[in-house]
Amino acid sequence: MSDNQPTIEIRDLHHAYKRQQAVRGISFTVDRGAIHGFVGPNGAGKTTTLKILATLLKPQRGRVRVFGLDVGANYKDVRRKTGFMPDHFSLYRQMTVQEYLDFFAAAYGMNLQERTRVVGDVLALTDMESRRNEMIKGLSRGMQQRISLARVLVHDPALLLLDEPASGLDPRARIELMEIIRELQRMGKTIFISSHILSELALLCDSVTILDRGTVRYSGPISGLHQRDGDTGDYLLSLAEDHPGVEATLRSVSGVIEVTKPANAPQYRVTFRKKETDLNLLLRAALDGGAQVLGFQENLRQLNQAFMDLTEPGVPPVMMDAAKAAPPPAPNPGGAA
Amino acid sequence: MKIPAFALFERSLRVETRAPMMSWVRAGLLIMILFILLPIQSMARMGVYAAPGLHFLEEMAWVNFVFITLAGLSYFASAITEEKEEMMLGLLRMTDLSPVAILLGKSTSRLVGALLLLVVQVPFVLLAVTLGGVGLSQIAAAYATLLAYLFLVSNLALLFSVAFRNTSTAAGVTLGVLLFFLLAHFWLANLLQNSGWPTGIHARGGISSVPYKFVDLWRQATPSDRLGTIFETGFTGPVISFQVLSNLVIGVLLFFVSWMVFEPCTREEKENAPGGRWRIGPKTRQSRIPRGLIGSKAISWKEFTFTSGGRIGLLIKFGVAGVLILFCNVFFQELGQNLDREFEGGLLIWISILATAIFLALDAGRIFREEIRWKTLSSLVTLPISIPELAYRKVAGALAGTLPVLIGAIIGIALIPKDVGDFLSDVFGDTAGTFGFIFAILQFILFLHLTAFLSLVIKRGAMPLAIAIQYLGGSFLMTFMGMLFFRGGADGAAAMLIIAALFCVTMTVILHLAIGRRLADVAAQE
Repeated sequence: MSDNQPTIEIRDLHHAYKRQQAVRGISFTVDRGAIHGFVGPNGAGKTTTLKILATLLKPQRGRVRVFGLDVGANYKDVRRKTGFMPDHFSLYRQMTVQEYLDFFAAAYGMNLQERTRVVGDVLALTDMESRRNEMIKGLSRGMQQRISLARVLVHDPALLLLDEPASGLDPRARIELMEIIRELQRMGKTIFISSHILSELALLCDSVTILDRGTVRYSGPISGLHQRDGDTGDYLLSLAEDHPGVEATLRSVSGVIEVTKPANAPQYRVTFRKKETDLNLLLRAALDGGAQVLGFQENLRQLNQAFMDLTEPGVPPVMMDAAKAAPPPAPNPGGAA
Repeated sequence: MKIPAFALFERSLRVETRAPMMSWVRAGLLIMILFILLPIQSMARMGVYAAPGLHFLEEMAWVNFVFITLAGLSYFASAITEEKEEMMLGLLRMTDLSPVAILLGKSTSRLVGALLLLVVQVPFVLLAVTLGGVGLSQIAAAYATLLAYLFLVSNLALLFSVAFRNTSTAAGVTLGVLLFFLLAHFWLANLLQNSGWPTGIHARGGISSVPYKFVDLWRQATPSDRLGTIFETGFTGPVISFQVLSNLVIGVLLFFVSWMVFEPCTREEKENAPGGRWRIGPKTRQSRIPRGLIGSKAISWKEFTFTSGGRIGLLIKFGVAGVLILFCNVFFQELGQNLDREFEGGLLIWISILATAIFLALDAGRIFREEIRWKTLSSLVTLPISIPELAYRKVAGALAGTLPVLIGAIIGIALIPKDVGDFLSDVFGDTAGTFGFIFAILQFILFLHLTAFLSLVIKRGAMPLAIAIQYLGGSFLMTFMGMLFFRGGADGAAAMLIIAALFCVTMTVILHLAIGRRLADVAAQE
């Protein structure tokens, strides 16, 4: 496979369950080494697409390629290169952590030496070494999720398909999981992640595909979503303490449309026309007004808004070439789980 | 105004009555009556049966008896355990529903459904009177016996469903207690007679007669004994017998015990991981995976260790077969059987084959079901092997955990090689015998396939349903072909068995392919 070839390539994919059309001709690509978010409301067709990529379902129409391999014809090769983590725990609870991982490593054809190394590696990566001899059924939900992720990694797949990996996890477990996913990206793996938690996807993903009622509403870099509503910028200014004059100072800057103050926090949300002003001008105005600025960052809730806008009936889809997304970190060919 | 205690009961009754499965069961019941009736009527016309009505009633009653026993193992034993397995019982208990409301809603509604299935047969069974050889009182007595037995079985299974965490344990214990109830009085009676305990006239009225009276009452309380009495020619006994009253009273008592133990047994919701029942599992342990295990052999290892119970499970299976052999030895010794080499050899062979068949049937019902239950099929299916290979590896693991029980049969053959040789030359001496033997094996293979397939389609009760379907299908096939080939003599019988064997093979192949397809579907639906 050439480096330029996308890891995932879906063209005009259709899939129906009896009379229910789950996926209606979707097309998108995912670049090598990227973390690609896959979002959409319930029933949008996300899980169907994921299962087709994981070779659990055969595509009924259209072309689905993973590393250039057709998922229907070359399903065994695709399975060797991908790891699928479903949205439920798929664990043998009567096994210990070590046995569970060892079992899958053996099933992937590894000898004892390889298994010992790989199981040690994935346990270290998921920070589960101290639990290696514990029964899975006694572990917490967060721990079980880590074991699921560790299982996906035992055969060192280059593509990870993660379906709602953070669902049901507490905030700490979610943050830790996100850290692991970033680490996996640094190892050169491509990660295709389906999630409902948009704010986390915005922080994690390089590119995103938004699906609604079986069609792609948007596919491209995360930054493209912020630019979607054209010339308007939406930023959040965080201060050390409330500064009554800063609101009026910001309003006076040319191009500022609106300044609102969220309740009970020394923060101001600034909406402005990008053509008339820029971030430096706004920041300088706030500092000149005597405010002690702690942070000035793009309002990430905009992704939620974009999601709501895009999944509204009647809104035309916006397709961007994912390849134009910010280049992902250089893959590490030697990276192993 | 609705009484809260009956709210769940009423809802369950509505759901059960409207369930499509119930319509299929009713249809199956009618077909079964037809297939029992048809050959009896044909035989009666040819003068084979003197009392065809009695034969018809007898067959109907015994089939019902077997089905009630099987229902106790699946339908009734899962009443409460299914809620435990799905971690739903805690939610039910958090509502205003009292324990008795849950018991009525989950178990008594099933009992009412099953009672209706029995009652609905009565008008058809009255045809027995027209066929001749049987009186109305016999029909009423037989159905009273079955209804009382059903009541007993449902409440016995309910008790174990409350007491145990999973359906298979509840079903296993229910089966054990039922077998003890139905059979142990024979052994006890013979034990008493051979123990030198004072009998007959010396014991009459004295304290020493109590054990005899107890054993006699026990015997009278069993439906098998009562049905035997009813089917004697010239039966004039009462419709409501001691068996009916005792079964009803014990049933009520069991319901009350279930009610009493409901709270302590269900107070804590515990996760019910599969595969742990053969062993007392520690919280931590070193890996049990063998060093040289590579590739798809790992799947066989997992199946052997967890579904089939591993080495300990194998020991338990040997233990069960051993207990059966011991029981038969004691039982037949009490009956005056000479426990010589021939007897022991034969016993070893048959018990080993029977035990292996039972364990294989249990494995067939569990081998894929456990993966579905714990949603682990999608992980297995994404391994780089095909679904047929995955399935065969699983089967190989299950076979490795059960087939060693056949060692008993090999020892038996070694003990009586000449008898086995004679038996085999008898069987394979003529065409009909050969095909009969092949047909029996093919039927069992078909049964295993049917059980495995049904376990992929329905949540529980795959094995009893497979028995019912195979019984009905077998009855249909044999009745139909019996009519076609009856006049053919020995050649006709051989031809009939060849066609039946071909039919078995065809159905097995269809089910074999359907299992693979269904596995892929289920994995995609997880």
